[in-house]
Amino acid sequence: METVLQTFTFILTIGIAYALGTIIEQDHYVNIQKREKDFLSLPAVSSKSIEQDNLLDGQLVYGSVVISHDYFKRFLASLRNLTGGRITAYESLLDRARREAILRMKEQARLLGADMVVNMRFATSSVGDEAWTLGCFELLAYGTAVRLKIKPT
Amino acid sequence: MKYIAKEIPENVNVSKINPLKEFFILLGGLFGILLLIYFSLGYAFDRLIAKMPDQLEAFFSKTFEQTYAVREAPTAEEKRLQDILDQLQAVEQTGLRPCRVHVVKEPTVNAVAIPGGNILVFSGLLKEVKSENELSMILAHELGHFAHHDHLRALGRGAILAFCSVLLFGADSSLTDFLMNALMTTDLKHSRRQEIDADAFALDLLNQRYGHVGGAADFFERLEQKEKMPHFFAFFSTHPHHKDRLVLLRQRIKEKHYELKETAGLNLAVAGSGQ
Repeated sequence: METVLQTFTFILTIGIAYALGTIIEQDHYVNIQKREKDFLSLPAVSSKSIEQDNLLDGQLVYGSVVISHDYFKRFLASLRNLTGGRITAYESLLDRARREAILRMKEQARLLGADMVVNMRFATSSVGDEAWTLGCFELLAYGTAVRLKIKPT
Repeated sequence: MKYIAKEIPENVNVSKINPLKEFFILLGGLFGILLLIYFSLGYAFDRLIAKMPDQLEAFFSKTFEQTYAVREAPTAEEKRLQDILDQLQAVEQTGLRPCRVHVVKEPTVNAVAIPGGNILVFSGLLKEVKSENELSMILAHELGHFAHHDHLRALGRGAILAFCSVLLFGADSSLTDFLMNALMTTDLKHSRRQEIDADAFALDLLNQRYGHVGGAADFFERLEQKEKMPHFFAFFSTHPHHKDRLVLLRQRIKEKHYELKETAGLNLAVAGSGQ
């Protein structure tokens, strides 16, 4: 009886985690794509150099997100751990985090009236000590927001 | 460098595979491998079981005796049961080493053969039994499990399952605990074939002991009538397929031309519980 109950709880938890996780992810992607379109006029590049004659001023901008996996993704990843290989379950999670971090950075840049962000970099660090129980990490996108005499677009 | 704003048409950083599909592939594969290990080791174990040294069995029996808190000094009831068992074992053909009976004070209607030649009889069963012949049949059935090494087979499968779990998830993982808990209650299950073979063994032994097989099917018949009652569930969970068995039992009685004579009364020498 206890066994049945435990199995049922497990399946229920996994099912709920999957359903909720999928809905949240789809919503987030719709949101990301809409904002990315909106920010197309404010490019972010990894290039370090910029023509000094064209530069008005520059300032550090950054966007940061903290994300965690859900129960379903964690279980899927632990299954993948047995065989090795790409942990596809985390790919979309990280993809969303990166894009969200860039968008937040661009939002900051826009508030400063910048024309573009140069020398953009990513940094990441894990938050919380036990990867299994509370696996979450921060993704930080940062760069130099510049105002230009001749606008890029 | 001229900047032209353009969208990236495709996301290359996320695999196209549906996570649910991957989940079922991985889980299916895992169970497949586990089943393969389980059955191949189980098969090997079945082949080796008859050659298991007595010391190893003694080790297992110790663990089980602790689990079921088997007492050292037998009660009057246990002495009486032991007498019945000894007389069964006195029949030459069994070829088994002496077994011991223990009564477990639980309302469960059940009896189990555990390693080390121990037979556990639950007090719930003693309340249901009406004659000595019936009880002999039940004890002989458990002796049948010993004779066919069924008790070790069940244990072996359980050990293999535990081994697989430890291999995959580690000794202190909650999943291993979970499996071990499940094992302690289900590893004494025998297959339909094993039950039928033990029945056949018991019937032959009963005939040798009493010269007839009166009372052999009585207990099963009564179980069948009372099937709906909840406290019989335990018996069915470790002794399933009773209807089949009853049919086969009657068939064997006919085939072997065993006689059905008057059964002997049962006196368990305990006030209130005997007949």
